[in-house]
Amino acid sequence: MKNTLYNAPYFMKEAGRVLWQNRLSSVFSFLSTGLILFILAVIVACWSVGNLLIKTMQDEAEISAYLDRDIGTEQVLELIETIKGMEGVRDVQLVDREAAYGRMKEILGDEAGVLELFEENPFEAFIEVRISLGELEKITERLESLKGINHVRNNREVLERVQSITIGLKRLGYLIVTAVSISTLVIVSHMIRQGIYNNRVQVGALRLLGAPESFIGFPFVLAGLLLTLAGGLLASFVIVFLVNRTYSAMAGSLPFIPLPARNQLVSGLLLFVSSVSILLGVLGSMFGLRSTK
Amino acid sequence: MIKAKGVSLRYPDGTLALKGIDLEIDTGELVYITGPSGSGKTSLLKLLMGIEYPTSGSLKVMGQSIAKGQEGNIRRLRKRIGPVFQEFRLIQGRTALENVMMGMRFLGIPCRQAKENAKSALTRLGLEHKALSMVENLSWGEAQRVAIARAVARKPRLIMADEPTGNLDHDNALIILDLLTSFRDTNTTVIITTHATHLIERQENATFIRMNGGNISVERRGKAYEEYLV
Ligand SMILES: Nc1ncnc2c1ncn2[C@@H]1O[C@H](COP(=O)(O)OP(=O)(O)OP(=O)(O)O)[C@@H](O)[C@H]1O
Ligand SMILES: [Mg+2]
Repeated sequence: MKNTLYNAPYFMKEAGRVLWQNRLSSVFSFLSTGLILFILAVIVACWSVGNLLIKTMQDEAEISAYLDRDIGTEQVLELIETIKGMEGVRDVQLVDREAAYGRMKEILGDEAGVLELFEENPFEAFIEVRISLGELEKITERLESLKGINHVRNNREVLERVQSITIGLKRLGYLIVTAVSISTLVIVSHMIRQGIYNNRVQVGALRLLGAPESFIGFPFVLAGLLLTLAGGLLASFVIVFLVNRTYSAMAGSLPFIPLPARNQLVSGLLLFVSSVSILLGVLGSMFGLRSTK
Repeated sequence: MIKAKGVSLRYPDGTLALKGIDLEIDTGELVYITGPSGSGKTSLLKLLMGIEYPTSGSLKVMGQSIAKGQEGNIRRLRKRIGPVFQEFRLIQGRTALENVMMGMRFLGIPCRQAKENAKSALTRLGLEHKALSMVENLSWGEAQRVAIARAVARKPRLIMADEPTGNLDHDNALIILDLLTSFRDTNTTVIITTHATHLIERQENATFIRMNGGNISVERRGKAYEEYLV
């Protein structure tokens, strides 16, 4: 420990020398670890967006029950009470024609002008039923059988599609993460092996002078760490840039896709990239050191 | 300091380099090892540094036995040895000063102290003006003195130099020998192998180990070194 402190500048210099000796290979490793970590970060970002999407959508499992045209107010209130009493129903709300019109206007935003083309409000009144996802099928069936309800629509298909995409994404993600980690480890450990080979005279001399292996190996581990850290930094820059771009783009055109808070996502990604790059750097160099003994 | 009992060394290819050597060397001795080429001088030094292990017999250096299974302890033992290798083993791309400091970096000496020791060792060897030169730009004799500086700056208890006079002319060989022997004191043992028997004949107060075909004979000359110590 004491030695490490005394020698901090020396270790840094030696690590720099190892990287410089092999500059071509260093640059290559830097770029490829950067790319790899970037891919990793993109996957993680997709995961977190997908997870949030599923979570929000699960909360938003809902059924729209469209009413018969000639139904009276009394009957509607009765229906609402009945539905409220069903198991798994969380919230029931009547959306009358005016409200339906208003909602669409809000969704369309700047494009709301098209609604003016209708002479009459084209929307129908419906009862919006928020439920827990598990009960979707059962409640849909029961609603269909109720008197006064014309037809029923639920968002099961959308939910299922999102869910299966997310699951697929996750599987693909695991695969890529594994492949990516292994290739980073290989790249880094190869770098370190090369470095030790190039410095074998020095390593041999230090051993004969009684230097402990930890002292001999430290600059190489440091070099590997610096390499992956630099790669991580590169990946971080690119991913932050990309996230910012995506968020500004999404804010305009796709307002109803729920995105995680930008700061939270960015800081989470940065934390992830830096810890993975540290881990891979240290592990890779350790493997490299191991394989030369 | 050194205790060898019936030590033999057989290399993997079957060469028997040392044949049952008995030897005791005490702290503070000045030891010259001479003998024809291939007689086992370097082999003996390798054993003393734990680079090779005796294939039979027992060997202890500063209380540490040189044997399989002692690798960690032998590594620690080497911290107290100042080796000057026949081929120097200086580290290219570094300055003379950095090379000398390299031998001290893992001894728990604060950097500033190590630098001071390194500078004063270089100065003692007449190389203060070359401290910041890259070692690959030094002349043979200068490089050799850097190697010696690296060995002595760490204040070892045992200095071992293998053929430090090889490739040197008479005058420079004498200078190097004088320098090396000047580090001998009551705490520091100095062992030197050399072909240049004519240079060391004048030496008094020294131990001479003559090697031949893996056998040794020992002569202690001049005042018994116990007296020298007093
Ligand atoms: N690694 C090795 N493997 C096999 N044989 C070896 C090895 N090293 C040395 N020898 C042999 O051991 C014998 C002693 O060698 P050593 O190097 O100790 O001699 P030396 O006295 O130092 O010679 P020189 O004066 O030429 O340096 C020689 O016969 C040599 O060929
Ligand atoms: Mg020799």
